[in-house]
Amino acid sequence: MTESFDFKGRHIIDTEDLSTAEILHLVKTADDIQAMGDKALEIAKGKILATLFWEPSTRTRLSFEAAMFKLGGNVLGFSEASTTSSAKGETLADTIKTVALYADIIAMRNPLEGSAMAAARYSDRPIINGGDGAHLHPTQTLGDIYTLYKERGTLDGLKIGFLGDLLFGRTIHTLVRLLSRFDVEMHFFSPEGLNIPEYVRSSLQAKGAVFSESEDMNGQLAELDVLYVTRIQKERFFSEEEYLRKKNSYRVDRELLEKAKSDILILHPLPRNEEISQDVDDLPNAGYFRQAAYGMEMRMALISKCLGLM
Amino acid sequence: MRIERINNGIVIDHIAAGKGIEILKLFPTEILRTKIDYASYIDSPRMGMKDIIKIENVDVNHEWLMKVALLAPDLTISVIRDAKVVEKINPTLPELIEGIIKCRNPKCVTVRETYLPSLFRVARMENGKLKQQCQFCEHIFYS
Ligand SMILES: [Zn+2]
Repeated sequence: MTESFDFKGRHIIDTEDLSTAEILHLVKTADDIQAMGDKALEIAKGKILATLFWEPSTRTRLSFEAAMFKLGGNVLGFSEASTTSSAKGETLADTIKTVALYADIIAMRNPLEGSAMAAARYSDRPIINGGDGAHLHPTQTLGDIYTLYKERGTLDGLKIGFLGDLLFGRTIHTLVRLLSRFDVEMHFFSPEGLNIPEYVRSSLQAKGAVFSESEDMNGQLAELDVLYVTRIQKERFFSEEEYLRKKNSYRVDRELLEKAKSDILILHPLPRNEEISQDVDDLPNAGYFRQAAYGMEMRMALISKCLGLM
Repeated sequence: MRIERINNGIVIDHIAAGKGIEILKLFPTEILRTKIDYASYIDSPRMGMKDIIKIENVDVNHEWLMKVALLAPDLTISVIRDAKVVEKINPTLPELIEGIIKCRNPKCVTVRETYLPSLFRVARMENGKLKQQCQFCEHIFYS
């Protein structure tokens, strides 16, 4: 392959800004970096990543910071709004312009929707969107795509189930939108009222994607190659009663997995509540911790590419 | 109702019948202090019925025009000088509109960080409604 993919200086705001070829290139880059072993520590030597987190998300922030340390770079930043100058009324634009003077690349999470795109207008350093409110979370999605490649070798022909609250699960929406570019089948299992939102459904229809929706997995579980489980939160249900009645239908345990393919891959964006029983953790099917590691490896690829170092 | 000829100013013609009143609401105050003729539901060979607005001694302001185009995309604007039409403007709806529409999603960054220009992708739908998508938060509004 001679095609070159120059990401230097590029912002990563939305997975929809990336072509499928570019996404596959990021997957390959993540692999290449891992194959370098300790040599990867030379990649971003002397570079600084700023992690600007106006709302706490320890998991995502640690993943970005670990990614930068594994590339041999340094990290600075803040992890909640109350400790920042924005608490004193500084605009997002001013914060970004200042930090861009200190750091070579910026990973940010901000509760306002569209904030990463706004930040990119004021930064000559690459901005990586680590979540802008309920809107986008591209690095999670790219990490999930990398996970599927690592675990399955290919996306072609995969039958992927999505279980749980599919209405509020932001990670699901971007992942589904991206997966619809590939030759996969998608099956959505959610309690009534927590189905995939209309805009996701119509975008799937527009793309001619193969998908189905139902309240339970009966009949389809045995067909699935992958089951992506999302958090079920009590407050999303009409009543406590309804929650208690339904939560077990959206819970994965060993007993349920008896009815599935023996090699079904279980994923979850973490943190989990009770959706996945801990007795699943020791099974090889439990992909959700490996998924977190792949997420970090994808972030290593993104940082390296956007800095023009790979 | 008969609309008088004007010597200098602009004529906004081919406004969908009944929409003229909404366009009047968009006029900046300095325009409201000049002489305005407004006729609603008048016969039009092309449209069946239409509204028409004539404003004396006013220049065409670009941003204001775009607001007008958003409301009534089919209208035409003639600039009159010395009783002659010197320019005809078709305010075509641009695909991207900066700085006019306000995002109504309270969680949108443009609502809190007010120095940001609003940026909307607009498209006319088959039912005549205008689909407006904020390019920051991607929320879609119809009008
Ligand atoms: Zn918006």
